[in-house]
Amino acid sequence: MIADVVMATSGDSAPLWLLAAGPAGAAATYWALYRYYRNTDKSHAYERDTVIAAQDVHGSEDKVDHISRTRDSDIDGDNSSDHRDRVQRVR
Amino acid sequence: MTQQPHDAQQPRDPDAPVFDGPPLSLEEELAAARAEPEPGPDIDTVNESLADGLNRCPKCGSTDVRLRGSTGQLVCLFCRHEWQESRVEEEFGLGEGIDDLEGTVVAGGAEAIAGDDDVMTLTCGGCGADVVVDTAHALNARCHWCRHTLNINERTPNGAVPDAVLPFRLTHLEAVEKIREFASKRRLFAHPRFKKEFIPENVLGVYLPYLVIDARAEAAYVGAGEVQTRRWTEKNGDNSTTYYAADVYRVDRTVAFTVDDLTIEGAADRAQFDGSTTNNIVNTVLPFDTKNAVKWNSSYLVGFTSEKRDLDVGDLQPVLEDQLLSIGRSQVHASLSKFDRGVRWEQEQVDVGGSRWVAMYLPVWLYSYYQENTKMLHYIAVNARTGETMGSVPVSQWRLIAAALTVGTFLEGIAGAILVGTA
Repeated sequence: MIADVVMATSGDSAPLWLLAAGPAGAAATYWALYRYYRNTDKSHAYERDTVIAAQDVHGSEDKVDHISRTRDSDIDGDNSSDHRDRVQRVR
Repeated sequence: MTQQPHDAQQPRDPDAPVFDGPPLSLEEELAAARAEPEPGPDIDTVNESLADGLNRCPKCGSTDVRLRGSTGQLVCLFCRHEWQESRVEEEFGLGEGIDDLEGTVVAGGAEAIAGDDDVMTLTCGGCGADVVVDTAHALNARCHWCRHTLNINERTPNGAVPDAVLPFRLTHLEAVEKIREFASKRRLFAHPRFKKEFIPENVLGVYLPYLVIDARAEAAYVGAGEVQTRRWTEKNGDNSTTYYAADVYRVDRTVAFTVDDLTIEGAADRAQFDGSTTNNIVNTVLPFDTKNAVKWNSSYLVGFTSEKRDLDVGDLQPVLEDQLLSIGRSQVHASLSKFDRGVRWEQEQVDVGGSRWVAMYLPVWLYSYYQENTKMLHYIAVNARTGETMGSVPVSQWRLIAAALTVGTFLEGIAGAILVGTA
């Protein structure tokens, strides 16, 4: 991995953001070890571990707009994988 | 059928007048006479073969009965006869008809808690002594005079007697081994005091209260999705920037589904999952093989402690709806592959067509450790059916920080070397 970084930056002056590697690595190490010991992020994965019998998914999609130029590589607020992130509830 | 506590009530004089309110009018008396009887529970799970008091071995009559973990059966410690209660899945038809569930169907042991009187007095069937049982923590007691084991088998109004029990399968030795293995992988950065005081043999077998739910639901979601139509890079001097073009869609999805044996905590103390507790640890050892739960017989609890249920079906309806919404979201996820820039759900709706609630005691081996400086109660929990183990080990902050600084310094050194080398 280090070799990749060196290769990517060789021949040109290396970007200054490389200096952030130290603090970022320290924070990542702390957080990874803390989670391994305390397991604060773990919970029962009921979406996966429960016997679920689902019928076919129905739905539609209508084109409502076009973005002709943006620097964002994905949609704002993508929560399609955060199944437990609750949004406005319609009763 | 409801079990009244045998508390120290004075015997009533049969000749004394009884005041039961002002007299009713003739119409009211007639209406009362014509009224339907009080509805019983939707599913009556009382074990009719047992009454409060002595659970005798069907072969020799001894009351020295307990669970034998290696076989999952009750064993008589006097004559070694083994037997078991029948599975509730077949006995009460709990695995059937989820597609046709209508409304909220509540089994007898999951009915609303009607009282908070935890202490019950049983009269020993062996010698006649009165023996007190604190049903908040145990449903058995030894008669202090004749040493018979006394059991609470009938329904109590305080929520202590569930519909079914899933017996322990892992033995104490196996649980100790699991906990030791879990902790030994987490020694280096563990708090020194935790390591010093770590005695896995102190693990306790606890039956924890859960509500096991079958449900039929339909969930609907509305949001926005984006599909990338173009991607290009523009150069501006030395810098280059990537731009995207995308079509925006209004997306809606609907899915109907059933869930079988969704399991939710029945005790308020363990139902909160914020960062101030380690309740998520016990939650993580779910699921259990709840299909193997058997009819209630408190002999399964001999030698273990228990925690009574204190949440009703009404309290847990929002939790059920929340979990059904999450399950629905996971079900529709596969239909979103077209939207390569992602989907942002904005509104959601769940319609619970029917649900069936059964109260169960599920077996957990719990090793607990109270960390004084943070006032945090840490657990290492072992699912006593599947062996799944999860825990929270208190950390030594200075060791963690030292490790983080070491890694950070090393990376910073490499980054500095690269910068100097390419300058």
